[in-house]
Amino acid sequence: MKRIFVQTILAFTFEVCFSQTVIPEWFENLPQAPPGTMYSVGYSGKYINHSLARESAIAVATKNMAKQIKSRLAFEIEELSDGRFRLLKPTFGLSYKKDIYVNIVDKCVIADSAITDNGYFVLLAYPDIQHHISGNLKKWGNKPAWTEKLPFNKEYNYGVGIVSNYSSWVRAWKDADEYARFDLGKNFEIEARSIHTSKRDNKFIVESNILRQSYDKEFSNTVVISRWYDRENDIYYSLCRQAKKFNK
Amino acid sequence: MKKLIVIALLVPMVFMLMNCGGKPKAKMNNIPEWYLNPPKAEDAIYEAGDAAKQSMGLAKEAADARARDAISRTIEVKVSNMLKNFMQESGIGEDAEALEFTSSVSKQVSNNVLRGARIVKREMKTEGSMYHAYSLAEYNLNSLIQETLNEAKKQKALYNEAKANLSFEDLEKEIQKLEAVGQ
Repeated sequence: MKRIFVQTILAFTFEVCFSQTVIPEWFENLPQAPPGTMYSVGYSGKYINHSLARESAIAVATKNMAKQIKSRLAFEIEELSDGRFRLLKPTFGLSYKKDIYVNIVDKCVIADSAITDNGYFVLLAYPDIQHHISGNLKKWGNKPAWTEKLPFNKEYNYGVGIVSNYSSWVRAWKDADEYARFDLGKNFEIEARSIHTSKRDNKFIVESNILRQSYDKEFSNTVVISRWYDRENDIYYSLCRQAKKFNK
Repeated sequence: MKKLIVIALLVPMVFMLMNCGGKPKAKMNNIPEWYLNPPKAEDAIYEAGDAAKQSMGLAKEAADARARDAISRTIEVKVSNMLKNFMQESGIGEDAEALEFTSSVSKQVSNNVLRGARIVKREMKTEGSMYHAYSLAEYNLNSLIQETLNEAKKQKALYNEAKANLSFEDLEKEIQKLEAVGQ
């Protein structure tokens, strides 16, 4: 019993202290794909059986590819406040097409894969490419500028996803990637409505506020091109990019 | 045993006393300069928003939404002024129909569709157990001017006062609901 307890503590400490230390370089920065081809990244946590880990990582990469080719994003945020209470209700909806997913499963190829201490990573190429990539394992680089200041380029739209305090790094990256996609959508177009009222009586001013922002739109070619993990503060950042020509 | 009971009572009391200063406040030197003094530019509007929440994701969403809301309220005033100028320059300011159109568009822009209102800067700070997010939204005025002129030029096609009134009434109903809950 004591042994199991010590092993559990050791495993937990290892997971916390050594989480996401080493990653394939294409996980941090997605390489430029050859014309007519797209890359997407998949990842999974530790499995006893490597083939299961690989299968799980490929499934994530395939879904990521389907989402980046075309996905419908529906976002709404509503904030109600009357000076006494505040209520915030964000909702996120993402869907992608089944036929695109099936096509990817048929025609994709694994361009590279890597195993680290705590996970399995795959780089998926679609459609099939002849040459393969050999990405080296590396430690996380310095904090990139895009984590604080959104990049500007006339040809691209960008969005940043940020999450923290996740017990599973796989779940954290999945959410960071999706929030980055939603952020891109908000930067592109959003319907913003609000009413602000201010009521004054003898003693108080009560400010009421209703804010509602939403969009529901289909986006093509939204690619998560960079990721960065802030080990010190346990924060996961994803940067999503879309060529503006796909939104005309 | 008695000692244990005393300790058991004292420990929560100490924690309660430690927390009775209310929510932790942001340190002034931690607040981004661009939040206190948003940049000014001739061709863009900048507005800042912030929010403190237990969840980082919610803090970010709320700060972004508040920054965009501030942009939306600022452009409402600007668009209404621009439309007035447009009417005068086009020589249709005295036309009764044109006046009606002005009022309807200003209602429409209170439900703004913001194209390209980007969160250009963002900072996340921790205050005790809370995350405090600061967001700076940027809206390019060139696109606003173009969109407003387009709106004005195809006034009859886009004119939908009933719809604008309806959505405004919806929001007013929400305010009334909110007041009822607060009472």
